[in-house]
Amino acid sequence: MTSTLDVAKVRADFPILQRRVHDKPLVFLDSAASSQKPTCVIEAMNDYYRRTHANVHRGVHTLSEEATALYEGARKKIAKFINARSSREIIYTRNTTESINLVAFTWGRANLKAGDEILLTESEHHSNIVPWQMVAKEKGAVVRYIPVDAKGYLDTAALDTLLTPQTKLVGLASMSNVLGTILPIKDVIDRAHAVGALALIDGAQGVPHLPTDVQALDCDFLAFSGHKMCGPTGIGVLWGKRDLLEEMPPFMGGGDMIRKVTFEGAAWNELPWKFEAGTPAIAEAIGLGVAVDYLSALGMEAVRAHERETIAYALERLSEIPGLTLIGPDDPDRRGGVATFTLDNIHPHDLADILDREGIAIRAGHHCAQPLHQKLGIVASSRASFYIYTQREEIDRLVAGLYKAKAIFKR
Amino acid sequence: MLTRQEQLEWILDHYENPRHKHPLDDADAVVEGGNPGCGDIIKVYLKIEAGRVVASFEGEGCTISQASASFLMDEINGRTLEEALAIDHAELMENLGKEIVQQRARCATLSLDTFRAAARKRERAQQLPS
Repeated sequence: MTSTLDVAKVRADFPILQRRVHDKPLVFLDSAASSQKPTCVIEAMNDYYRRTHANVHRGVHTLSEEATALYEGARKKIAKFINARSSREIIYTRNTTESINLVAFTWGRANLKAGDEILLTESEHHSNIVPWQMVAKEKGAVVRYIPVDAKGYLDTAALDTLLTPQTKLVGLASMSNVLGTILPIKDVIDRAHAVGALALIDGAQGVPHLPTDVQALDCDFLAFSGHKMCGPTGIGVLWGKRDLLEEMPPFMGGGDMIRKVTFEGAAWNELPWKFEAGTPAIAEAIGLGVAVDYLSALGMEAVRAHERETIAYALERLSEIPGLTLIGPDDPDRRGGVATFTLDNIHPHDLADILDREGIAIRAGHHCAQPLHQKLGIVASSRASFYIYTQREEIDRLVAGLYKAKAIFKR
Repeated sequence: MLTRQEQLEWILDHYENPRHKHPLDDADAVVEGGNPGCGDIIKVYLKIEAGRVVASFEGEGCTISQASASFLMDEINGRTLEEALAIDHAELMENLGKEIVQQRARCATLSLDTFRAAARKRERAQQLPS
């Protein structure tokens, strides 16, 4: 049996959880939007600026060598975390959105032709929809969507008709940020390959919450963000299969991504630096490396086990509330720690406002998934999301807050 | 000075019993405004009759956006257009209860911005040769 986390011990590592909001203890249920950071990550970044900062890759002096070692060392940690074959396949970006844009505007631009198809799902985040719409428009390609059913499961049977000889890339999240669904990505990846299409995984929610192994998955690209996995904002990752990355033209041009520049032109640098132009977010990369250490020490199996318990409890308690409609799968084994719902006719803004006054942070709106909300027939929803520091008592307080909202609106 | 609770009840009253919430068939201008993707929609109908504003709205969304529209319609109906256009964001938020709405300013000012857009649309329509 997988041990689950010692949540009290984990919470002690996150200083922000001591905060009070409107004079009540903070109940932070918005980790899907961005996670909190443990002291070790904060200290590592401060320490870097206090003791070892210098620009990387260019200096012979000690500080630059130390900074480079930390920066590249973090890259190796990240590679190990997702079981990449080589750290050359780890490209630092700003976030998941930038990672996907990188693929769309380098691989996409170079390889898509008129009539080609990009296959996504109806529950994708805008960051895995809009770049494809943009490059498809440029190239005369078509974007299509695998449906999700009323319970939030992917309609994999529809793949029979949706995967065609024209399909060049299939893009999907490993976990939905609205439905919480853990998608059957291995199955989809294999079926994409069977028709000669590449598979890109949006790991923004998946990588922080589930064990991820790119070799076992055999996906072609994986995009994720540091700030959703205990790391700082401003740093993300694109992992790609080496031969694909070698073929792709650069994304941004400038310093560090070149080997040689003359007045006539430039020769590109090797992987991964070909895709890392200009001075990088050094402190942030180091911070992400420390976040990876932190999560590795907890163990991603234990992270998932705790989350499964948490969402099971949340689903149980929330489904007791009259007038509350849960969105997404009922089965906690197929669901991550995201509980999205509507409550009577109370607008999510009003709900979030009332909960805020109780010290509770949730998110209200469309969560960057307007097409999904359109499919669900609602304009906006409320979302409570959980992570390694979430405890049962916080779900109890959420429920109490929801009853309070019902009372205010006399429902 | 209303207490916070009284202010909330006032907003809820406007939300649940909105004033001037109906279409206007012979409006000079109709404009729909919305907060992108967050679900607040306000549609303003505007007519000027004998130099005075006749206005109504339709819409759906959060309490603040809808209550603000209801309150605004109360304020501008019967005034001259100049007087109505003189109402600014600050005055509107003050009336709604600044402390309550300041975290959701865009919800609060949606109705005013939409009304102003309707006034501009009406003006442009008036200027075109018939």
